[in-house]
Amino acid sequence: MLKILGKRLLSSLAVLFVVSLITFFILKWIPGDAAQLILGTEASQESLEALRESMGLNEPWLTQYGNWLVNLFRGDWGSSYIYGESVRTLILQRLPVTFSVTIFSMLIAVPVAALIGILSALFKDSPIDVFSRSIMQLGTAIPSFWLGMIFMIVFAANLKWFPVTGYVPPSDGFLSFLHSIALPSIVLAIGELGILIRLFRSSMLTALEQDFMQSAQVKGLSRATAIVKYALRSAVIAPITVIGNQTAKLFGGTVIIETIFALPGIGRLLLTSVEQRDIELLQGIVLFITFMVVFINLITDLLVAAANPLICLETGGKD
Amino acid sequence: MKNKKPKFSVILGMVLISIILLLCLVSFFWLPYDPDRMDTANRFALPTAAHLLGTDQFGRDVLSRIMVASRSALLVGLCSVSVGALIGLVVGAVAAMSGPRLQSLIMRVIDGFMAFPGILLAMMLVAVLGKGQINAVIAIGIFMIPSFSRLVYSMILENKTRLHIKAARSYGCGPVRIVISHIFPDMLPRMVTQFSSSIGGAILTESSLSFLGLGIQPPSASWGMMLSEARQYVLSYPFIAVAPGVVLLIAVLGFNLLGDGLNDRLVRKGVRS
Amino acid sequence: MKRLIAIGLSILLLMGLAACSSESAGTQAGTDAAGANTEGTASASEKNELVMALGVDPDGLDPQRTTAASTFQITNNIYEPLLTVTADGELTNALADSWIVSEDGLTITFTLRADAQFSNGNPCDADAVIASFERLKAEDSPRAGDYANIVSMEAPDAQTVVFTMGTLDVAALSSFAYPWAAIVDVTVADTLTNQPVGTGPYVLEQWIPQQSLTLTRNESYPGTVHIETVEFRMMPDAASQISAFQNGELDIITVSGDQVGAFENNPDYNVIQAPANSLQLMAMNLDNEALADIRVRQAINYAVDKDALIETVWWGYGQKIGSHYPTVLKEYVDHSEDYTYDPDRARELLAEAGYGDGLTLQMYLPQNYTAYVNAGQVIADQLEQVGIHCEITIVEWATWLSDVYTNRQYDLTVVGHTGRLDPYVLLARYDTESGENYFNYSNPEVDQLLADYQSEQDEAARTEIVQRIQAILAEEVPALYIQDPISLYVTQSDVEGFETYPIDIYEMKNVSFVQ
Repeated sequence: MLKILGKRLLSSLAVLFVVSLITFFILKWIPGDAAQLILGTEASQESLEALRESMGLNEPWLTQYGNWLVNLFRGDWGSSYIYGESVRTLILQRLPVTFSVTIFSMLIAVPVAALIGILSALFKDSPIDVFSRSIMQLGTAIPSFWLGMIFMIVFAANLKWFPVTGYVPPSDGFLSFLHSIALPSIVLAIGELGILIRLFRSSMLTALEQDFMQSAQVKGLSRATAIVKYALRSAVIAPITVIGNQTAKLFGGTVIIETIFALPGIGRLLLTSVEQRDIELLQGIVLFITFMVVFINLITDLLVAAANPLICLETGGKD
Repeated sequence: MKNKKPKFSVILGMVLISIILLLCLVSFFWLPYDPDRMDTANRFALPTAAHLLGTDQFGRDVLSRIMVASRSALLVGLCSVSVGALIGLVVGAVAAMSGPRLQSLIMRVIDGFMAFPGILLAMMLVAVLGKGQINAVIAIGIFMIPSFSRLVYSMILENKTRLHIKAARSYGCGPVRIVISHIFPDMLPRMVTQFSSSIGGAILTESSLSFLGLGIQPPSASWGMMLSEARQYVLSYPFIAVAPGVVLLIAVLGFNLLGDGLNDRLVRKGVRS
Repeated sequence: MKRLIAIGLSILLLMGLAACSSESAGTQAGTDAAGANTEGTASASEKNELVMALGVDPDGLDPQRTTAASTFQITNNIYEPLLTVTADGELTNALADSWIVSEDGLTITFTLRADAQFSNGNPCDADAVIASFERLKAEDSPRAGDYANIVSMEAPDAQTVVFTMGTLDVAALSSFAYPWAAIVDVTVADTLTNQPVGTGPYVLEQWIPQQSLTLTRNESYPGTVHIETVEFRMMPDAASQISAFQNGELDIITVSGDQVGAFENNPDYNVIQAPANSLQLMAMNLDNEALADIRVRQAINYAVDKDALIETVWWGYGQKIGSHYPTVLKEYVDHSEDYTYDPDRARELLAEAGYGDGLTLQMYLPQNYTAYVNAGQVIADQLEQVGIHCEITIVEWATWLSDVYTNRQYDLTVVGHTGRLDPYVLLARYDTESGENYFNYSNPEVDQLLADYQSEQDEAARTEIVQRIQAILAEEVPALYIQDPISLYVTQSDVEGFETYPIDIYEMKNVSFVQ
């Protein structure tokens, strides 16, 4: 068991290291120069050179990478030249927005997907199943930016059920906060439905075919009781890993929804940093998001391992 | 009963893809209007007999623009997935056939690439490469590499232990020959499936990039960009956001359905036999 | 046991996550407390908080280290220059109570406001003013060049500053009124970007980038300030600005031409429209062989229907121009009809110049400015009609600045120029040697006129020079001059005193609520 944990931790660290390398070296290729950007059009060549020197842009790449990594560990993620603020502060300011939208949309998507998925497995090939499979396909195929716009026109501009765009922090009232992130969360949730329904459906189908269903019926339990007592339980545990992975993925994919609904989250910060070529900020965000993804995945794996000793056995944890 | 449903999704997928292909093919021979010609006196027009899908913010014909944009959507979709599949195939095969050190090195790098969620990697690549159609192909292509190489890698490992491969090896076949003549035929169905459903994803990613202003640049038309332009006016003229979105949905849905249907037919069958 | 270890480890990791998020919760809580405070001081009966929507964040809050208008709109309320302008463009006192220009125009003496102090309590005396100007003139200041003509600064006493100019420059006095000439506290120079310290009517309370920036009244500012708290809310999306404004959450918004109709003739709102001190044009690079030929440039001017262009892109809210001069300045001469829309004439001229078979030009458009991108596309379409094909490239602002503006690698580009208080700075870019002459335009007569203007003390003669330059540019068209844009603001009907100025600033201290 400990061995697996250690292995899992090590491989996560390795992934993070690779990610930091990829991020750093890809972004080193960015044309245009941070120093030029800061000084604008009217600066002299000498002041440009002076700024480059002081920003460390003249050092060899490997030194720059090393310095960057060391600073990262010290908690100094660099500073954004557009905001003159430390990258860490900027990211942490936005974290609540992205975090709440992500969680809220998963809170919507998972129960809905579980309900539809399990029903469609129970009534395979019935109209419910056809309906759920259509939702499955539409959910994956529908472009979130288009759905977002349509929802905005219909539910915000015409029906006025939700504010058009904008974000209300929870400190200004929890209900208006929920209200302000409801529409974007629903749009995100619909995008997740496809994968999640598929997951619940197939895991329920597998559960229904398991031996314990037969033995339960042999024991004289009714099919309904067997489903509730055994099949449902095993059908709900299996998808946890994927739900974790999806949450992590979603966390990094909010840029479009944040752009449409003008939510001040990490995604918008990311887009700004790409547009403005704020390299330190971009590096910081990319690394932060991937770190979160790796981290959430690790947690999910560990939780699942803890909840289900069977998995440990399967992966060879016979120490 | 079991075989009927997948068939339906394949057919529906084919139909949807044919609609897009038709739009694309016809656009080479005939367009209702010059897609770039502006008619500023007649902008935001609702659909009429003259303009079947109305006109945009410069009075350009929306149908013509959608037709022209279908070319770049298909081009970007096909090219980027081909790039991703080819490189992915090579990387995956090398990893699977090489020694444990190299193998774990390659797989770590691939894991690293896969850790970037959503379009983060594509956005980062665009920030470096610059915007535009070719760079979108490259960025999405790179974005596709890890999943293809993962697939190839695991399939080769799976097959490596099978009897006929072991037999071939004992006859002295080299690793390249084994992959090409023995493992590749087995992998083909799953590659085709993955290819088809990746195209849907690639088209979606391309339009997302264009929507964010990082993909195809005006004045060339792209569905994502048309939607991004529509966004400025969507509250006053909601209609201009409808058509490009529907077409995009048709294209992505078509390729996804085809991929799924093929998966059911080719892959499951393969497993059974 | 194994399970226990796994659970323990997960909990440990989760706690790490919690620590991470609680840190951000901490900052959030801090700002909440601050918010509660201001609510406490504002009396319940009187509305004391104004909210204005802005599209973009400021580019930092250090006015001496940026060139972004978005910064000056805000910093102008935190810092003060020595002088400032009225809405009519007259110079008036700010940090300086009075000023005297010497006979020869070379020395300017300012008398500072008595007991002026920075918002952190440091005194703002003559030495502080000199230190601030030294920072503005320093090498890493983007405006260093503009103030190079100041050869000496002296402080005969704590309240008097004497500036001496190297050469006669009639625009010198107005250069003290720009928001970048604001007096900053140099002792905290390194942190001005996010912790501004000035002498102005407001101080920064809180800035959450991409969300909001809040200013509160500066207690040590002696002048009249009506509103206690001013919040700028960053809302890049026009639709959200409008809906929040209609819900009463915002007091002032900027709108575009297509949206202003919803507010006109409605007693709940005031619409403020004012021509801006700026102009928008399509610049041409005269290094291009074809564009060096005046006939091609004239053809381009004949080929574009400016009225349709302004209607399409700006919904008609703009004043057509024909030369490099904003309509709001008093020396303006109307050249807008010098080349009326005439595509046939354009084709003739092109044929004469040897481009009857067509001509391809590279057009670069700056991405963040949607209006310029749109205008470029409309112009390209109109040029196509006379046989000029434009290959459009949309570039980020940074790339535009380096490739197009600085290195002049382009044929055509659409952009805007903000006007200054003195016409010279506006027109000086047409000097052959000017670093800002990205047209590569060269005309000895214009060079001479610009040189004459610098030393001409007679008002009438100066006006004549400026008008002559306008006429030459209108004739030789190194650019397609499009329009002087009209800025549109909508305020709630209880907002009073919000004005537009000939430079890009807001004076929030003059704004009040009618009870």
